[in-house]
Amino acid sequence: MGESLISLDRATVLPPILLLCLACYICVVPVTEAIWLQIPSSGTKCVSEEINSNVVVLADYYVIDEAHPEHPPTVSAKVTSPYGNNLHHNENVTHGQFAFTTTEAGNYMACFWLGSNPQKVADATLGLDWRIGFSAKDWESVAKKDKIEGVELHLKRLEAQVQSIHENLLFLKHREAEMREVSEVTNSRVAWLSILSLGVCIAVSSLQLWYLTRYFQKKKLI
Amino acid sequence: MEKRQRHRYVATYMILALLMSLIGRLSSLSVTVNDVECVYEYVIYEGDTVAGNFVVVDHDIFWSTDHPGIDFTVTSPAGNVVHTVKGTSGDKFEFKAPRSGMYKFCFNNPYSTPETVSFYIHVGHIPNEHNLAKDEHLDPINVKIAELREALESVVSEQKYLRARDTRHRHTNESTRKRLLGYTIGEYVLLAMASALQVLYIRKLFSKSVAYNRV
Repeated sequence: MGESLISLDRATVLPPILLLCLACYICVVPVTEAIWLQIPSSGTKCVSEEINSNVVVLADYYVIDEAHPEHPPTVSAKVTSPYGNNLHHNENVTHGQFAFTTTEAGNYMACFWLGSNPQKVADATLGLDWRIGFSAKDWESVAKKDKIEGVELHLKRLEAQVQSIHENLLFLKHREAEMREVSEVTNSRVAWLSILSLGVCIAVSSLQLWYLTRYFQKKKLI
Repeated sequence: MEKRQRHRYVATYMILALLMSLIGRLSSLSVTVNDVECVYEYVIYEGDTVAGNFVVVDHDIFWSTDHPGIDFTVTSPAGNVVHTVKGTSGDKFEFKAPRSGMYKFCFNNPYSTPETVSFYIHVGHIPNEHNLAKDEHLDPINVKIAELREALESVVSEQKYLRARDTRHRHTNESTRKRLLGYTIGEYVLLAMASALQVLYIRKLFSKSVAYNRV
């Protein structure tokens, strides 16, 4: 699945000053939900997710480098659909974002690798904020548009989340039904093929016997 | 009086907006583990519940004893291990963050076959009464809403786990189906070939070209 030629990972030790800067940054602006990944110095790092069709995908990625805050290393990104179509391609950037609505169900993969950098860089850290479906909805704009705020907005959000939970549950039920069918077909095939195997064994050995009897009779040994 | 009320309203809205963006952080992705793969997630408040699950999805092995599973380790920003699981093909985890900071979630694959791990991490925060006392704009109802939200997030987390497990089960089923068909047809062909070889050998034993025409 992934084409990552990843070398052995080494622990990144963040100096305390970075943590302080990060804390200040987070206090000043609303924080984005993100995980951090390590991009190796050679090879690509790929993350993927199985997504249904007709789902909104919103992602934001940015390079975090504590060693050179003024010259952060650049990365290149590529997002592919399950059928191989290129949905997003960006070279040598420090941050970028992409958004699309899925047209087919399958495995969507986002790959990152280090772009061309003038100085040789070790592993870079990339922050990736990947949201699909319910979490991709922009609630601030919904609040402004419908002019609802506070508890009502919270409850509307919870209602949308319950809706998405319900949809997920129906999807899981459908998948389980499909798999149960496959299991039952396999079960019946085992029974049928075992009986057939016994039949083949008996047929082959009786054929053997018949041929050898005819052969020996021809040779006048019997 | 009205201006103060309006200010209070705006302040509540801003705090709620901030809270909304802070409460509940999640990520659900799959990554291929060749050797060690680490994912980092930031925990803002000390005492936050970090919950999640992971499932090893891609499993193209022949015998199940070939690959007992992968190891999973969570390291706190101080460097000590908060949670560890060894040799598993998927598990749920939950712990209370002892301090805020950047937590490292590592998957370690002790064998050479690359595995695909689908994981989900959620950091949940519920404002408690201490925060309530400090900030008079914080409504007690927000605590209840946060609790409700965390309960729903746990349902979502469980669903993602079930979905990943279902995918893995699906792979196993497909593999069983293919193996069944392939090996059975192969068995028939081999049986027919073995008996044909038997007949040919017996014929050779009784052929005239053998020096002694007796067996």
